[in-house]
Amino acid sequence: MTVTSDAVALLAMPLAASVVFVLIHAYLGVHVLRRKVVFADLALAQLSALGASVAFANGYDVKSAAGFAYALAFTAIGAALLTFTRGLARTMSQEAIVGILYVVATAATILVVDQSPLGAEHVKKILIGSILTVTGEDVAKLAALYAGIAVVHWLIRRPLLALSRDESSAPYRNRAAAWSWDFVFFLSFGVVVTSSVTTAGVLLVFSLLIVPAVIGAAFSKRLGLVLAIAWGVGIAACAAGLGGSYALDLPTGATMVMALAASLVLAGAVKAFIVVDAGIRRTRLRMLARTTTVGALLCVVASSAWLIVNPSGDQPLLALLERAAHVGPPTFLARTEAETYESAVRDIVRFQSEADRLDAMERAARYQGVPLADDEIRRIASYQQNYNEMTRGERFVRDVLQAKARARERWVIGVPAAVVALAGLALCLRLMPGAMRAIRNATPTPPFLKRAIP
Amino acid sequence: MRAALFGVALVAMLSIATPSHAALRVVATTTDLASLTAEVGGDVVVVDSIVPPGVDPEAFEPRPADLEKLRNAGALVRVGLGYDFWVDALVARAGNKRLMRGGDGDVDASLGVPLLEIRGRGVVNQAGHAHGHANPHYWLDPENAIIMTAGIAEMLVRRAPEHRERIVANRERFVGKLRAQLARWTDALAPHAGSKVIAYHNTWPYFARRFRLDIVDFIEPKAGVAPSPAHLARVISKGRSKQVKAILHEPYEPENASRFVAQKLGVPLVKLATSVRSMPETADYSALIDYNVTAIARAFAARNP
Repeated sequence: MTVTSDAVALLAMPLAASVVFVLIHAYLGVHVLRRKVVFADLALAQLSALGASVAFANGYDVKSAAGFAYALAFTAIGAALLTFTRGLARTMSQEAIVGILYVVATAATILVVDQSPLGAEHVKKILIGSILTVTGEDVAKLAALYAGIAVVHWLIRRPLLALSRDESSAPYRNRAAAWSWDFVFFLSFGVVVTSSVTTAGVLLVFSLLIVPAVIGAAFSKRLGLVLAIAWGVGIAACAAGLGGSYALDLPTGATMVMALAASLVLAGAVKAFIVVDAGIRRTRLRMLARTTTVGALLCVVASSAWLIVNPSGDQPLLALLERAAHVGPPTFLARTEAETYESAVRDIVRFQSEADRLDAMERAARYQGVPLADDEIRRIASYQQNYNEMTRGERFVRDVLQAKARARERWVIGVPAAVVALAGLALCLRLMPGAMRAIRNATPTPPFLKRAIP
Repeated sequence: MRAALFGVALVAMLSIATPSHAALRVVATTTDLASLTAEVGGDVVVVDSIVPPGVDPEAFEPRPADLEKLRNAGALVRVGLGYDFWVDALVARAGNKRLMRGGDGDVDASLGVPLLEIRGRGVVNQAGHAHGHANPHYWLDPENAIIMTAGIAEMLVRRAPEHRERIVANRERFVGKLRAQLARWTDALAPHAGSKVIAYHNTWPYFARRFRLDIVDFIEPKAGVAPSPAHLARVISKGRSKQVKAILHEPYEPENASRFVAQKLGVPLVKLATSVRSMPETADYSALIDYNVTAIARAFAARNP
């Protein structure tokens, strides 16, 4: 098999798992957003991790039935706490309690792990999964579990939606009934996030829960439509993230989070510029163009001011420009200086490759040919040390000359760039009296001013 | 006369029965160094270690009791090479000058060991951990224990010159025993010389050099960063084309990726111990090496009977 067919086999299961995850998490995300407890998933997942650690400390395997029972019991405690603290939401934000629950559970996990015997370090890491290595068996189990929970939620959709819509649980005169529905919601939610965090990791689960639901809610109030949008966007973003992770050779979970975030930005752009009527669109596009221009000009002003004040510091914008224009420090150096600079750059590469060559030689001798004696290894090590020192020396030369070049660039590039950018800014502000007036009009006049102005 | 003899006998008995009264308190940063120090020091020393077995020493968080240990210690044995860098701050905090770098109770066990994969002084993260000087897992080559125990013995003699003979004798006994075992270990793995394996982290270069294994790739090339799918695909295809025989895995690392690669290649996942007491079978230094050698030999033998 080739690398590509390995890749297809490698990405098929994570994609299937993503689809399963998006279906249930986007739905739960809608509830969580309406209830304003977006961090409840982290708190519940952490409580279940605490349960698993307690199980491990008591000598059970984390993946055994006892381990699962412990995790479930702690999740249930968390669900009960979240249910009862909802009543407090009138006097304080429930989000605060969710946050406290999370940190306390995390700290308690650290203390339990610290007390448990041999290899406890292991537990912390088993609880954080990676979606890349999910197996077909995992996906089937998760799909069955989520299908069961989905059926329960379908059967009790009316009370659940009513409770999520109304913060005061007013639709239910009967307190006990409201509490039991809330408990069922948080418990099922806890079971879902616990299982998903152990296969996909905390970051990805949080994003899957919140981002698609936010996008759906931005476009509609109707549950059906919200879900359709959330599912479509979520699955597309996950697929893009997986593909990107392969193509760009990046860690999968983090890349998928970035893809979901990108889909949020894209959805924001669609909402602001596409699904509005032509007049508003024109105004908004004009505003966007202006803010972008002003922002870019401000960056140039700040960057050239930094270059003038501290030329030897890091100059990210200038470095970017130099790379794009294929202009390096030699352009701003005298001929002999430029030669020294270029030889330093060459030598850095040369010394490093010499050190690497010795490394490769030593590695090969570990398992083939005559083994190297200890003294030969020591000699190689001392050569490598020397090459590394020489590389450091050349780097120093390169940096000094680069600073010298930058010190000249501040007059050649820094000052003119600052002048041009400032002129541009002045021009923008002069061209934008309309915008300034619009901002002034949009800001409500404070009441005391209203009274003062007849 | 009888009373005098009795007195001598009593003193002798007391000195045997309660060696810890005058014993030198030695703190080693890891359990491996603690085991070697105990072999060399025998009843001249009382040894304690800081990092609990089975915990990743590079992600270790010290606690107040460790400060107490260092305050009361007469000597310190460290891995060096930036592996247990946190001990410098702890020693400074404990205010025990004797244990500071260059103090008469301090020994860096890496001194004199032929080091592999030198990366210079800069913290360059190229092949795994952000190691300062060289790959720090040198204690996993039993031959290096001969050099390490020499350094430890030298320091102990400096701190307790009256026990010089006993320390030297202890060390010689340990080295003799180790040499005999080394011959046995080398024989056990000799038929598999040149065998190709994949490792989770870059933990085994010294072990590989001693027992002539070819580690073709690492599953997690950067510590703490999950491997990308492209990397995993490359590792699997490389494993297939090079006919890798086993996946080596550290017990404190997550297993998912290693198990996945092992399944794809149809080779055993071999969990090796990186430190003394990290597994029940690795009670002391020789048991640690013995466990690893046996585990690998068994995995290789299962594949080609």
